[in-house]
Formats: sequence, structure tokens, C-alpha cells
Amino acid sequence: MSSSNDLTGADHPAGQATFSSGLSVADFAACLDMGLEPVGLVQGFCAMRSQPGVSMMGMTPYQPSANDYVENYHCPHGFVSAEHRMWGQNYQQTWIEQTWRQGFTNAYSRMVAEATALGAHGIVGVFDNVNPLVQDGIVEFTMRGTAVHLRGHTSSSTPWTTYLAGQRLAKSIEAGFAPVNVVAAVSSVRVWASCITEYLMEGSTTMMYGVSNDSIEVEQIVSARAAARELVRQYVRAQLQGGQRHGVELRMREHAFGHGDLEIQPMLRGNRVRRFKDFDALDAPRLTVSLS
Amino acid sequence: MSDAPVPRGQIDLKTEVRRALVSLEHPSAGGSAITSDLSIDEELNLHAVGWQPVELVTGVSVFSVPSGLWNWGQGEITGATRAHENAFNHAIMRLQRDAAQAGAHGVVGVHVERSVHPSHVEVSLLGTAIRPIDAKAAAPEHVFTSDLSARDFALLTLAGWEPLGLAHGASFVYAPRRQMSMVFAQQTQNVELTNFTNAIYAARETAMERMQTTALSLKGTGVVQVNVIEGPMSFASHAIGFVSWGTVVRLVHDEHHRVSPQLVLSMNDRTITFAATTLQ
Amino acid sequence: MNEEANELARTTGHRLEELEKGLFTSDLSVNEFLLIKEAGYHPLGFVMGSSIYHTGIQTRRWGQSQELTKLTEAMYNARELAMTRMEDEAAQLGADGVVGVRLDVNYYEWGKDAAEFIAVGTAVKAEDGVSRLNKLGKPFTSDLSGQDFWTLLQTGYAPQGLVMGTCVYHIAHRGLGQTLQTTAQNVELPNFTQALYEARELAMTRMQDEATQLGASGIVGVRLEEKTHQWGSHTIEFLSLGTAVTKTSDEITLAKPITIISLDN
Repeated sequence: MSSSNDLTGADHPAGQATFSSGLSVADFAACLDMGLEPVGLVQGFCAMRSQPGVSMMGMTPYQPSANDYVENYHCPHGFVSAEHRMWGQNYQQTWIEQTWRQGFTNAYSRMVAEATALGAHGIVGVFDNVNPLVQDGIVEFTMRGTAVHLRGHTSSSTPWTTYLAGQRLAKSIEAGFAPVNVVAAVSSVRVWASCITEYLMEGSTTMMYGVSNDSIEVEQIVSARAAARELVRQYVRAQLQGGQRHGVELRMREHAFGHGDLEIQPMLRGNRVRRFKDFDALDAPRLTVSLS
Repeated sequence: MSDAPVPRGQIDLKTEVRRALVSLEHPSAGGSAITSDLSIDEELNLHAVGWQPVELVTGVSVFSVPSGLWNWGQGEITGATRAHENAFNHAIMRLQRDAAQAGAHGVVGVHVERSVHPSHVEVSLLGTAIRPIDAKAAAPEHVFTSDLSARDFALLTLAGWEPLGLAHGASFVYAPRRQMSMVFAQQTQNVELTNFTNAIYAARETAMERMQTTALSLKGTGVVQVNVIEGPMSFASHAIGFVSWGTVVRLVHDEHHRVSPQLVLSMNDRTITFAATTLQ
Repeated sequence: MNEEANELARTTGHRLEELEKGLFTSDLSVNEFLLIKEAGYHPLGFVMGSSIYHTGIQTRRWGQSQELTKLTEAMYNARELAMTRMEDEAAQLGADGVVGVRLDVNYYEWGKDAAEFIAVGTAVKAEDGVSRLNKLGKPFTSDLSGQDFWTLLQTGYAPQGLVMGTCVYHIAHRGLGQTLQTTAQNVELPNFTQALYEARELAMTRMQDEATQLGASGIVGVRLEEKTHQWGSHTIEFLSLGTAVTKTSDEITLAKPITIISLDN
């Protein structure tokens, strides 16, 4: 990737001044094929302070707001010992989700602002990165892409954006989809293991606690993962507003603090698109034999 | 990655792009929210056989493994096998439910992620739910799941086959012990270790047989794209696991339709020509 | 030896029975599955054979480059056992051949100097009912992919069997250090080269002998692999693999391919 921060000389629409772009040669060729001229590399940054999670050293469960996801688990054993957990909980860490949402949105709008300043119509090949800088709990959001300009077209709208570039973008358009913007969301669910969950994940014998020594499902963790995924899907769906999402990617990030104590943070990203024409009548797929 | 040729010259790309971007200026008419992790090629393939993607769906399950299970023993480690089977089955059920809720008839492109830990077994499935274009919803038990790509699904459909579901089988065993005296006796000989061979053989067979049993229970005729994973546990090298899974298929109408292939020669790398007379 | 191999094949329990009743399994991709059908064959089932073999220690003279014949024998026998068992499973299913054969070696920590040799593939049967067994009366084997199998049949040739030749060679230790110190850069090491040359020749010759036994006219898809297994860097196994073929018809029905340049990364 021949990326550089050099935007000098890009005041004029492409064709006259030099430009820089993060596109590969193949993608660059495809862009020109589409009539899109690269104008410059655009970027947006944002550093957010990430708030620490709620401390669970206290003895009482977290009290969530009304609509947030939470699930409570109670110990069925009566008093066992001082270390035995009396309760467990899955809860949504909305403050983390909000931090992420804001950081991403800020970085995104700054990138789009740079593109607008260049007179570009859209941004292709968007690349985003979230970098937690562990010291002091700072998270850095980076977005960049190649701003492009459609010759002879005037537009007062904000530049459209897409993760796609090159041939993949061309195919998407040929199939009848116009790129609108990238969509991404993160959800965060914390698992504070109940006594049963903790023992199951630790591998301790639970015979004495009246739980069978057979293999059983660790319901708390399954619930939390399912909830985290459903939340992130809902967030992205809300951003679609009737459009469609293509080329999505779901990335699960999990951090374990101890046996059964987890933080589950899936990230879902994709391209929001809009249909501008019907599918063309297509040939059926062919069975291919590759000779090389 | 696509091996379908780009239809250059059939569509005027620049015009289409212009049309697309101009349409963005006008407010959208709205429509149903569809989400998928398929590439455009795959979606086009689906569409060509009359199906459409609906939603990205998942199914997860975690089953505990009773403690002390991985210590030395003999024969099959039934606790681990049960945990694996349960985890896989429950994950499939959740995937089906997720898909049914979205109004889909099946799931394709399922990524199967499974891991075995000292205390638990996890299975995580992620795929794209699909349905025949404009069809009504189906009941969860009838939703098929498969790790075939959308393109493979389309090819199979054209050939007259349908996927029924994912079949899987697992078998975990202890490696058989050896007497030390036997070790020395075999020092200079090349010889087959029949005890070992039998034990490993049997375990692999069992895993595949269990997969076949699932296939038969789904009333399938065959299992394609079978994956076989085998090896010792990273945390207990004397415990060996065998896992196999694949997609169960069946002929829809008792007749296979021939799908004549198209030869493609990729020009990306240097060309390799094949001379049939000299076989070089 | 063969009796033992048969014994083992028969202890496979119900798996093969179910396959005989008509369920097929295969690790072929959908593409390959459809191409096999196009070629006029139907898959019967996933077949496999394995053998855990103890590879004995062989005395050697460190100062001389030579073949370690005992190890060569061991590697060969182990693979033969695995292949034979796989072929027996295929025969039990009534197969004409096995495609997509894969030979793997597994090492287990608990078995010093022992390794598991596995042969797996998909047994197939010709749909026209004409027998395709090879000259030795056994199902043909081949490591060709579904794609290559179809392409081969279009050229009028048919596979007879997977042929292999192996040679375990020890490259002399002593003097190597001095050699490296005294020779200049970018200079060939003639002893080394000679040793490698001989080893490969031995492996390939043995492979060709197997093809001759099958009455083949040629070998396609020849592959030469070099492995050190668990012996350290001065002992190398040269394994030569290929599919022996014979001509069955003069017709070549290969259509003209279309060329593509992929612009996807």
C-alpha cells in the first residue's frame, strides 16, 4: 500500500494535480474503469478515554438501566464458604459501547470532512482500526480511505463511503447496488460467573454441590454470547434504515479475567447499500475446471 | 476470490456507476433490511437459482467436561465425546432457530469453529441464512445448515441435489500404553505397532461412523466436503481426538442433472500448457 | 502380511456396511463431486488405511553419505500397509478406484521413533458398469484431484495406480564444518550435490518400477517431496509420487479453455 499523508496539490480535481492513494494497482485500474478518479488519501482520528468497567469487588450486582441486557443468576447452595459466589450476572456495558460509538463516529466524520474539502464524491477502500493503548485506558480510532471523484458529476451530498474497492466495488454496482456508507457497531457484554459457571469452567468436581458430574451446558456463557451477537446485529440494523448491508464481517473479541469471567465484544461491519436497479437476468453458475 | 470471468463489454461500467451514484442524490424508497456476509458473486449465484440471503446468523454452545477426565485411562474418553457431540448439536439447533426467526429456510457458508479445553468444549457456528425468493417462513427443525459456500449450493441445486444439514461425529481416546520391555525389544526393528494401530484405527472409524449415523437420520444419500480433524490435545498429549463433519445431501428427484464444466485458464501466473500426447 | 491387513479392514465395524448400503461420504469438494459425476463415476465412500510403524534405529557411518536402507524399507512398508488397507476398504465397497488419495504422516509425542502413516481417499465406481480395475486386479488409486481426474479422462488416458518410490539418505556429517569454513561463498558443494542427486534418482527409479509393474505408459503429476521427519537435518527422505496412467482411447475431447485475469486480490 503506497499510503502517504501527502495531500498537497490535490486542490484541483484529479487529472491535473498529483494524488496519493492506498489502492493497489489492480484496484486503481478498476477505479479508473468505473470512471472514478482518485483525488487523495483521507484520514480521520479520534482518541477516547475508555472508562474502566464496574468493579465487581463489591458484593452487590450491577444495576442496569431499563432497556439494557442483564441476566441474574442465584446460587442454589446456601452458605458454602467465603469464596463461594452468592450470585452471578451477565450485563451489557453500555458505557463501553458508547465510547466506541463516539470514537468511531468522530473518526469517520473527520475522514469524510477531508474528502468534502477535496471536492470528492465518495471514499473507497475504507480501512478502520481500533487500537487500545493500554496505559491510561486510551483507545485510538483510525479511519482512512481513498477519496474519489466522478468526472462531470456535481453533488451537494456528503460523500458516500464503502469498504470495497476495485473489482469488488464494480461487481457490487453491476449487480445493482449503490454504495451509501460503511456501517459498524460494537456491543459489550460482561460475564460475572455464577458459582456453577465458575466451577464448570474451572473443571472442579461439583458432585458435592448436587450438580451432576456429567457434562452439562454452561448456560450463562452461551446466553451472554448470544446476547452480545444479537445486540450488535440490532445496532447495525438500526443504521441501515431500510437499506441493505453487504459484505459484512463479524469479529469476536473476548477477554477472560478468570474462570468464566469474560468480557465479550463482537464487532460487526459492512457496507450499507441501496438498490438502484433490479438484478439483470443472469446466467446460472458454471462448474469450472481450472487448468493452471 | 472469484473464478467467474468479468463480463467485460457486456455492461457499460461507467454508465452504471454514474447511474448508481446519481440515484443516491434522491431519497430512498426504503425496503426490507437484508444483511449477509456473502460476496457479490455468491449472492448472484444464489439469485440465479432463485434464492436470496436474509441475515447473518449464529449458534454457540459450551459444554463442560467433568474434571479428571483427561488423566490416564483406557479406551474411549466418553465424557469428552459426549461434550463435543452435545456442544455441536446445541450450536446447530441455535443456528436453526436464529435462521427460522429471520424467516429463512437454510443456512449456507457456515464457518465451524470448535475448540477443546481441559474444562469445556465450545462450538461456534456462523453463516448466512437464505430462503427461496419471496418464500414464507419455515419451522426451525426444517431449516438446513451446511458449510457449503453459496456457490456450491447453487451448483448442487442445478445438478438436482439438496443439502439437508450438517452431520458430525467425534471420538476421543487414550493412547494405549506400552510396556517398557517391549520398547527395548523393538529398538532396532522396523515393525508395525499393532496395538496402537488398532486403537487409532478404531477411534477414527467411530468418529466417521457417528457422522454417518447422523447423515442417515437426516435421510440423506451422501455426505460431501467431509473435514477430518485429528490429533492429540495440546494440554494432554496422551489423549487423542478425532472429529469429522460434512454436509448431508440428497437427490431431489432421483435424477442427477449433468452440469457441463467450463475450462478456465488463469493468466495470473505463468501459463502452464498441457500436451496430452506427451503428458507434460 | 496381507491377511493381517484384511483382518484390520474387517474390524471397521458398521462404517463400511452403511457405505455398502448406499450412503456415500467423501471429502471431495462440491466442484470435484460434480466433476466425478461428469466423468461417469459415482462416489461410494471415504476410505482410509493407517499403520503405526516403529522406525528402527539404523547404524550409520557418519562420515559417509549413503542410503539408510533399513529406514527406506520402514518408510516404504508403512506406506504400503496404509495404502493396502485403504485399497481393501475400496474393494469391499465394490469400487473401481480411489481418487484424491492423500498420504499423511502423523507424529505422536508418546511414540518415540514411531509415526502413523495414513492413506485416505474417495472410492468411486464407474456408472457404466464396466470394470476399471488395474492390471493387478485391484481398484486404481490416484492422488489426482477431481479436476485433474476429469481432465485426464478427457485426454483418453486412465489412471492405474498411485506409484511411489522412496529413499532415505544420510548426508555426511564429518568435515562439513571444515568444508564450510574453507570454501568461498557462492560455490557448489559437490559432495552434497552428488548425494542429493543419487537419492532422488533412487526414489524416482523405484517409482518408475512400480509403474512398469502396472503396465502403465506413463506417470502424471509427479511430485518429489523431501522430509526430515524426526531424524534431524542430515537425514532426508526423498519421496517420489505420481499417478501411473495408460492410454484407453485416441480421442481427445478437451474443449478450448477461456482465459481470465483475476483482478480480485
